[in-house]
Parts: sequence; structure tokens; C-alpha cells
Amino acid sequence: MSKEVVLKSVDELAPLIEQKSLSPVELTKAVLDHAEHTQQATNAYVEIYREEAEMEAKQAEKEIINGNYRGMYHGIPMALKDIIYYKDKVTTMASKIHQNFVSNYDATVVKKLKEAGVVSTGKLNMHEYAWGITNNNPHYGAVHNPWDLDKIPGGSSGGSGAAVAAGSSIASLGTDTAGSIRIPSSACGIVGLKPTHGRVSKHGVYPLAWSLDHVGPMTKTVKDAAGLLQTIAGFDRNDPTTVNVPVNNYIEHLTGNVKDLVIGVNEEYFFHQVDSGVEKLVRAGIQRLVDQGAKVKQVSMPSLQYAEWAELVTSLSEASTIHHQHLLTRAEDLGNDIRLLFELGELPSAVDYLQAQQVRRQLKQDFQKVFEDVDVLITPTLPVVPTSIGDDHADLNGEKVDLIDNVIRFTGPSNLTGLPALSVPCGLKDGLPVGMQLVGPAFQEASILNIGYAFENTNPMDGKRSELLR
Amino acid sequence: MPLSVRQLLEDKGVPVKEEHLETLNNRWKEMHALRGNLESANLDEANISLTNTPGGDHIE
Repeated sequence: MSKEVVLKSVDELAPLIEQKSLSPVELTKAVLDHAEHTQQATNAYVEIYREEAEMEAKQAEKEIINGNYRGMYHGIPMALKDIIYYKDKVTTMASKIHQNFVSNYDATVVKKLKEAGVVSTGKLNMHEYAWGITNNNPHYGAVHNPWDLDKIPGGSSGGSGAAVAAGSSIASLGTDTAGSIRIPSSACGIVGLKPTHGRVSKHGVYPLAWSLDHVGPMTKTVKDAAGLLQTIAGFDRNDPTTVNVPVNNYIEHLTGNVKDLVIGVNEEYFFHQVDSGVEKLVRAGIQRLVDQGAKVKQVSMPSLQYAEWAELVTSLSEASTIHHQHLLTRAEDLGNDIRLLFELGELPSAVDYLQAQQVRRQLKQDFQKVFEDVDVLITPTLPVVPTSIGDDHADLNGEKVDLIDNVIRFTGPSNLTGLPALSVPCGLKDGLPVGMQLVGPAFQEASILNIGYAFENTNPMDGKRSELLR
Repeated sequence: MPLSVRQLLEDKGVPVKEEHLETLNNRWKEMHALRGNLESANLDEANISLTNTPGGDHIE
């Protein structure tokens, strides 16, 4: 039973649970067994909550038997990135400094998941303090990509990506400051949604860079992401960055109809310096939507030429402000890679930071103008495929390039603009997953989820699963 | 004369890790190169993503 249920999506499991033909207790036990079985291979978990999860599953089962089914995520076992606070539980941020940190409150997203009846199976490994994309963590060990255990899962939410791809968590949440939901989603062959900035509360989530941070779903399917966003979205008085915009019924919007949809394609930035295999898959993905009635329009956004600089200056400055005291007093307890980034973030001047904000405003205006003519912008999520663990360089059409600079090139602009961006798997290159990114107008998650859904229905992965689920 | 990376960090009390200095210098130069022609980009002086909202964080 174990393998059979853990490979199912929430959308497949929920009706079975609602009809009482699948017990949340059996499902939770299967996920926990599988998580323990695959832990040595992936190292996705930091901590597994077996006892508590079994108790929560029993409670969910009791409620459902008594006719109190709460909805799609009731009785679904899920683990979250270990940067999201659970009341009275250790949240480590995968760091040495916070290894014993216990929050006295639940993050707003955790509160919402508990209200939805989700069963918590544990906390997932990540890049230390979410400040990196390899998940090669010096304190908790490297996370391995379930498609090829020698490769990185991407990051910083790499534990979430690996766990969902391996079936050791049915779905998960990640955080995204420069691409940390979409990067591991692309690398692990799952769906990842960075919602609009302000759509989902960050209260109770340790910050990396205040103005760029987001919380969002990482799931097996687009429908699961729609259901999870529905569960966690909404205004929160405890988070001054949330915006009071009504939450849509994202599942109802999944019609799969993309007729007359206008797809924007920006060649000079988003298709420049891309692995040829990745480019081929993404262009084929666009064609699949065109085959369903969509049209393509070329678009230009001149300010994108400054996006990498603005993203780096903003994220480095904000992260180094948050960790300034750590750098002054506990530098030796930081991983070498993030210590270097914190040092680098001490260097930009106030003028640099504020110029980056001016660029950011121009980017927002350029994107807004583009969305007057198109419904969605489609790009590769990453210009390269996942590299070997420990390798700081990626192969880009035979050239060795810096990994971190290249990996965030296509994801970073959506953090600067705050626009929603979805990564959906679009095929395999040399056995490794490739993601296609859909960027939409502010608060139009329903639209990009529907486009992702239409695309997913064309079966771009040809039914292939990660090695650990075969 | 511009301050060195070492001076900039030491001025802020940041303990400098010797083996990081060369990498920091290189990365700082790379970041500077990413600015490209920003100085001639005609950034609008009123065009900034910072706001000052009176009356608290939320206006409903």
C-alpha cells in the first residue's frame, strides 16, 4: 500500500478520504514509513513528528467519520520547510545559531493548515537561513535530488522539493526570496507557486529579505497548488505586507481553457544564455498551449537589464541587515557560503540600495505595460539543469558558469516586482526535470494556475516519476 | 581613493575572514559590472518603491 498511496496527489487522495475509503491514519502511516525509508537517500527531513502525526491523523479520522469533513486538505500528511514556526516546536532555519529555537506561536500559515485539518509529519531541510540554492547544508547535511541522488535539489526549499518529489510529503510549503520555491520545484519536477507579494502571510516565518520574501505551495499537481493556496491565502493583521484583496476560489477557475490566451515571450532576457535542451523543452511547452488556441506575442522590457543587479543589492542588503548581529558576534557559527554572502551584503551603500528600488519601480511599470497586451509571460524557470552536489558551477552549453548567479536570473524579477509566478514541470533533459515559468499580473494567481493546469493536462512529463517513486 | 573591502568591513566591526577577501573583491567587482549603464539610465527621481504610509501599516 505504501508506494501506491504516497505517489498520489492531494486531488486523488481527498475524495478517497472524504468517502471514507482511505483512512488518514493509514495514509499518514504510509507517508511516515516512506519518509523514514527514503530519508537516508534524500535527507529531506530535519525532524519527523511520528507520534504527533499519528495522533493528528486519528483526530482527523474521527472528525471525518463523524461527518465533519473540512475540505481537500483534511487528513493530508504534510511536512513544511523548517523556517516556518510551529508553536512549542524547534524551528532551526537549518542553522547552528537557531538549532534550539522554539517559537511560542504558530505561523499564520500553520494556523490555517491546522484549521484545514492537515496532519504535520515534520520539518524539512533547507539551505541555511534560506540564503542559497544548493541545499548543501553544513549543519544538517546535503539534500539529494530524488531524480538523481548525486544532484542538488535546488533551493533554498530543497527539502520541500525533494520530499514532494520522493512522496515523503504529499505536499509542502516553501519560501521564495529570489526563486527558492520555483528553483527546487523545477529541479525536482514538481509544481511551485510564488504568490503575489502580500497574498500569503509571512507572520511566523523567519525572514531572509523583507521586501522580497514570499510563502507558497510546492505540490505534485497544479490542482493541489490551487487548493493549498486557497487554504493559506488572505489578509493578516500580523503581517503588514499582506494586502486585503479577496481570495479567489482557485480550484473553480481551473477550466483548462486557454483559447485566445495571449502569451508574452521576451527573447532578449528570458531566452538569452539558456541551456539548449532547456530552451527546446520550454518552447515546446509554449507550442502545446498554442495548439490549444493560445497566441504568442513578443514583448520588450528594457529595465530587465538591471534586474540581476537590483535583486542582488536588495536581497544582500536586507539579508545582511537581518543577520548583522549574527555576523558581528557569531560569524564562526555560520556556514562558510552564507557568511560570505552576509559579508558581501555589508558592502552596498544606501545609494546603491535606493537606486535598486528605483530600478524595481521601473521593472514594475515595464511588467504592468506588458500585461496590458498579454495574459501571461512564459520563461524557463532555470537556464540550466541541476548540478552535482558540491559543484559551484553549472554547464551552460559547454561553458562553465557561476551557479548561483545563473540559477536566480529568471526567477528574481518576480521577487522584485512581487508578481505571481508558477513553475510547472515541462519535461526531462538527460533524466533531470526542467520547469516552465508562468508569470502573471498582480493577484491573478487563478489565471496562471489555469494556464499551468491546461499545460499539465498535455502530460509533458509523459507520466515519468522520480527514481524513489518508481 | 575607494575604501577596500577589508576597510569597509572593519569599519563596521565585521570580523574579516582572510580567505574570503579575494572572493569578496571579485564578487563585488562582478556586482558592479552588473550595473551596466545604470548611471545613464535616466532613473526618475520620483520613481521609488519606498512608501511612507501615515496612520499605521494598514489602510482599510
